[in-house]
Amino acid sequence: MAHQAHSYHMVDPSPWPIFGAAAALLTTSGLIMWFHYNSTALLMAGLLSMLLVMLQWWRDVVRESTFQGHHTPTVQKGLRYGMILFITSEAFFFLGFFWAFFHSSLAPTPELGGQWPPTGIKPLNPLEVPLLNTAILLASGVTVTWAHHSITEGNRKQAIHALTLTILLGFYFTALQAMEYHEASFSIADSVYGSTFFVATGFHGLHVIIGSSFLTVCLLRLIKFHFTSNHHFGFEAAAWYWHFVDIIWLFLYMSMYWWGS
Amino acid sequence: MTFWGRTWRALSLLGALPAVALCMANVALQQRQHRTTRPTFVPYHHLRIRTKPFPWGDGTHTLFHNPRTNALPSGYEQ
Repeated sequence: MAHQAHSYHMVDPSPWPIFGAAAALLTTSGLIMWFHYNSTALLMAGLLSMLLVMLQWWRDVVRESTFQGHHTPTVQKGLRYGMILFITSEAFFFLGFFWAFFHSSLAPTPELGGQWPPTGIKPLNPLEVPLLNTAILLASGVTVTWAHHSITEGNRKQAIHALTLTILLGFYFTALQAMEYHEASFSIADSVYGSTFFVATGFHGLHVIIGSSFLTVCLLRLIKFHFTSNHHFGFEAAAWYWHFVDIIWLFLYMSMYWWGS
Repeated sequence: MTFWGRTWRALSLLGALPAVALCMANVALQQRQHRTTRPTFVPYHHLRIRTKPFPWGDGTHTLFHNPRTNALPSGYEQ
């Protein structure tokens, strides 16, 4: 009958951290094999192992918290710090790509025709699909807040409706962006304009997909009664991440789509 | 007990979603107006850069290549 004299969670030994590191090694070396030696085996192994590690690690976190009760308020506080630090690191990640964009666009070189957008580039009209995408992400921020208050107030039906709406809006954004990527008259290979545009919006799109996945897991957990009105940090973390994705889009829209057109 | 839930539901259903619908209508209207012909092909050196072949297909098509709107370094395909 051992008890701990503190409110922290001393986690049981787990294989996922080292397997995750191995997956990262397989994935990075797999990219090299693909880019330089025309082989995809290592990359496929890397991505598959990454997926398996994520599923099993996070499944274990749900088991430790929801089913075993290890997430005391102290533990939750640590998770809050962790999520905030992670999102901050992602903000710096995007900062780099914005830096690259402004570096090239504020002083366009003679090779580009001394102008921005460069000669021969026909940018997307910011007032068409990009504006719709802005409305979609802003709306999804409103619906996820509705979902949060529904959870806090114990309103199960509305929480499920609101979170489902949020996820559908996220899918709609992704579908529209994919269509825009296909329809655009310029590609990633079209000067530094294409590079900055597609790398920044591409990573943003990846984060939308990640955020949508996180929210979907929350929806499944919500339906399975994992959350209480006082304790639902997984949902809060997903909502924070989703708001972050929205804010990055707003900066992308204002700088690349609007100012840069 | 229910104030915030009701408030954000109203903001969602009466504000945010109608705004999305308006933007959808705006896109539909604007896309009806322009069926522009595509720009003439000029082999600019800063565009359609191919320093290294792409690791897929024949190495010369971008990932989201659109034969109607995207030219290859040698010109439009169709």
